[in-house]
Amino acid sequence: MAAVLEASDVAKRYGAVVALERGELRLERGEVHVILGSNGCGKSTLCKIIAGAVPADGGSVVLEGRSVAFRTPLEAQAAGIATVYQETGLVPTLSVVDNIFLGQEPGKAGGRIDRKARYARFEMLIGRLGKLAAHLDPDTLVGDLSIDQQQIVEIIKALSREPKIIIFDESTSSLDRAQVADFFALVRALKHQGTSMIFISHRMEEIFAIGDTVTIMRNGRFIDRRPVSETSRDELVNLMVGSALQQMIEARQSHRQPGKPVLSVARLSGGKAQGISLELREGEILGLGGLHGQGQSDTLLALYGGITRRGGEIVIAGKQLGGSTPAAALKQGLVYVSGDRGRAGALRGRPIIENLIVGILSKSSKPIAERGKLRAQVRPVIDQLKLKFGRLSDAIETLSGGNQQKVVVGRGLATGPTVLLLDDPTKGIDVRAKQDLFALIDELCAGGMAVILYSSEDMELIDHADRVLVFNTGHVVAEISREDLSEFALNEASLKTAPAHAEQQPAHV
Amino acid sequence: MSDAVLDIPSRNRTRRSRSFWRKPWLLSAVLLVVFIGINILIQPRFFSAYALGNIITTMLPWMLIAVGQTYVIFGGSIDLSLGAIVSLVNVVVVVLITALGGGPGAMVLGMVAGLLLGTLCGALNGFLISAFRLQAIVTTFATSIIYGGAALVVLPQAGGSLPTEYFTVYSEGFFGLTLPIYLLVALILVAAFVATTRYQKHLLATGGNRQAAFQTGLPVRRIVMGAHAIAGFMSAVAALCILGVAGAGDPLMGQAFTLGSVSAVVLGGTALAGGWGSVTGSIIGAAILALINNIIFFSGIDYIYQAIVQGGIILAALAAGVFASRRQK
Ligand SMILES: Nc1ncnc2c1ncn2[C@@H]1O[C@H](COP(=O)(O)OP(=O)(O)OP(=O)(O)O)[C@@H](O)[C@H]1O
Ligand SMILES: [Mg+2]
Repeated sequence: MAAVLEASDVAKRYGAVVALERGELRLERGEVHVILGSNGCGKSTLCKIIAGAVPADGGSVVLEGRSVAFRTPLEAQAAGIATVYQETGLVPTLSVVDNIFLGQEPGKAGGRIDRKARYARFEMLIGRLGKLAAHLDPDTLVGDLSIDQQQIVEIIKALSREPKIIIFDESTSSLDRAQVADFFALVRALKHQGTSMIFISHRMEEIFAIGDTVTIMRNGRFIDRRPVSETSRDELVNLMVGSALQQMIEARQSHRQPGKPVLSVARLSGGKAQGISLELREGEILGLGGLHGQGQSDTLLALYGGITRRGGEIVIAGKQLGGSTPAAALKQGLVYVSGDRGRAGALRGRPIIENLIVGILSKSSKPIAERGKLRAQVRPVIDQLKLKFGRLSDAIETLSGGNQQKVVVGRGLATGPTVLLLDDPTKGIDVRAKQDLFALIDELCAGGMAVILYSSEDMELIDHADRVLVFNTGHVVAEISREDLSEFALNEASLKTAPAHAEQQPAHV
Repeated sequence: MSDAVLDIPSRNRTRRSRSFWRKPWLLSAVLLVVFIGINILIQPRFFSAYALGNIITTMLPWMLIAVGQTYVIFGGSIDLSLGAIVSLVNVVVVVLITALGGGPGAMVLGMVAGLLLGTLCGALNGFLISAFRLQAIVTTFATSIIYGGAALVVLPQAGGSLPTEYFTVYSEGFFGLTLPIYLLVALILVAAFVATTRYQKHLLATGGNRQAAFQTGLPVRRIVMGAHAIAGFMSAVAALCILGVAGAGDPLMGQAFTLGSVSAVVLGGTALAGGWGSVTGSIIGAAILALINNIIFFSGIDYIYQAIVQGGIILAALAAGVFASRRQK
């Protein structure tokens, strides 16, 4: 069978940084081809070269037997390649329809946009996505959408170009279990029509659920290619990391004894979260579960002061939380880390080092920042998270997606928080680094830090949480203890509805 | 599917109404009504054909330049040389028409040359910014000095004169309405048309997220350059309008328009960061600026304090807009 697309010996360097040394990819017609590799190994770079977003320094790309070298994304699109980029490719100030059809607007005379035709095509596309896009309003500004909805808009945008090849660069990283299932149904339908797809994900179970072939990369090089049906998780990790098999899924070390209470929250409301009460003890990791957007993130944001609180009492280490701003929360050791690095995390255009120390800076009351001291303070975090970077003074955009996320997490950890609020923090972080991250968190927990962890990945909760509160429509509908934690239990609980009395709780005045 | 337990409510369309309230020009329209009210109070004959015609004539150049500036700002850029372009076109047209003998042919030729020159100046700004990735503020500040300096070379001192036909046609117009009124209507129609085009959408996309626009396949450089060229053209039209009133050239004519146009754009609710706003808003914003001038003029405030009061009112109008939009969110 002839490959639809074949890339060989592709190379790319940015100044002194070698992003891609020997990229290789052989995509067959109608297959889902997974690219697997740790953060910064060159997956996105390879995709960007194929998509015409970045010029290659060397190597060749052959599309349907024809050698190509796209100079602009437009040329690649014209050749039938659509891309869902890892870092957002949407315009926040435009509406959903505007974004989906950008550059492909159905036209009328005089360069006008045929708005009616556009709505009609939108409805048609939405029909193909089924439940995944059921709530999507065409006129909402993209900047007002939650990150999972944005990701769905990007998927629709790629689909709207009727491509022969679609590149999904971590397009599921913000989707929850139900959304991923719907997305996979769509991928299967596309496959059936003969569309070829490149799929990047750090979630192993997704690779086995949808992939046909997997290409493994390490340090900018092609390592191996395997049919997914003939490989195993352990083998993949081995190829990816390149060293003897680690005990990847080692059970968490001996169960910790939670200490005295550090955080107590009563009837907290804000955003979608309604009347949330919880207790957190020293050294404990409390998981928040359930489908996306059921109030988990809003609970964390309301705690931190990132969104307006509507009532509720928060006591940290015996002291009432003074004030409703992030600054006040930070002063009392309450730190929030977001997985939405695009919006809430990274300081765009600023050096990596600044991005790392800004947390410490806003906590300290010293008027002068001592460069050397600050560097020393963030160094352990950089080492432990194995951050892959050129120089600390480079802009954060020069990092791969996963490494940007490590910076955002590292910034929170470096402040030495009492209570750490993690809002889906491992988005785009590779399996190995995830393990390192949680090892670091465990270490800090052993020292008394408490954590609330929201994750869209069930496995993360199962592996790391001491107990899980499951959310539905803004309420806590179930609590699952460590002993009872399983994918099945989480799945089942996420479909429970709030008991009637939860609605009738007296409003706090 | 297994999770049929989750009922999906029918897609809600109520947000359409909300998007109406997010129209960028809405607040400036309210301000416009307020300032018209104040004008009526202090100048009871505000609505007379004469007074109205007068104020439209003064407003028009501001509106033209503000509209040009809006397109540039939509695209995430800014042009601080528009005032200098006005000056340069202004003097070149006067000198050229005089040199060509001042007949009807000379006037047409002079005007066409002026429009071309303005467009070229704008396009040069756009070229420098997008081809060499220079900072728009600094680049256009530098070219403003060049354009302004060139104006002084062409006509060192205010003077020269245009044939009387030039300004009689401009102020008398046709069918009982002055030319500025026709031009205003044309401006509104053209802007409304452009608002429905792909070009404006692509421009907003470029300003809203340049990286995304590029990855989507839009020719971002050409788009930004186009916006600058449009702004240059609009400034040239404004220069011709100003000549229709003044009748003589002035190399320092344009100075106030640069930041005036930016103020009008901001008053109109357009985001300086790019990607969001409306041309209608800028037209209204320019009208508000002119009305503020009018209020100052008729209020009888001592001449030396006029500038201070004017600045204060602009600041208050801006603040009112900002506070109102914050409450709304
Ligand atoms: N614009 C840039 N300037 C400098 N270095 C860059 C740039 N873009 C990427 N790099 C470097 O190239 C390497 C490969 O990055 P790439 O984004 O391809 O990784 P990736 O495999 O997609 O990782 P992730 O899983 O984290 O998304 C990284 O080390 C990164 O720091
Ligand atoms: Mg990547």
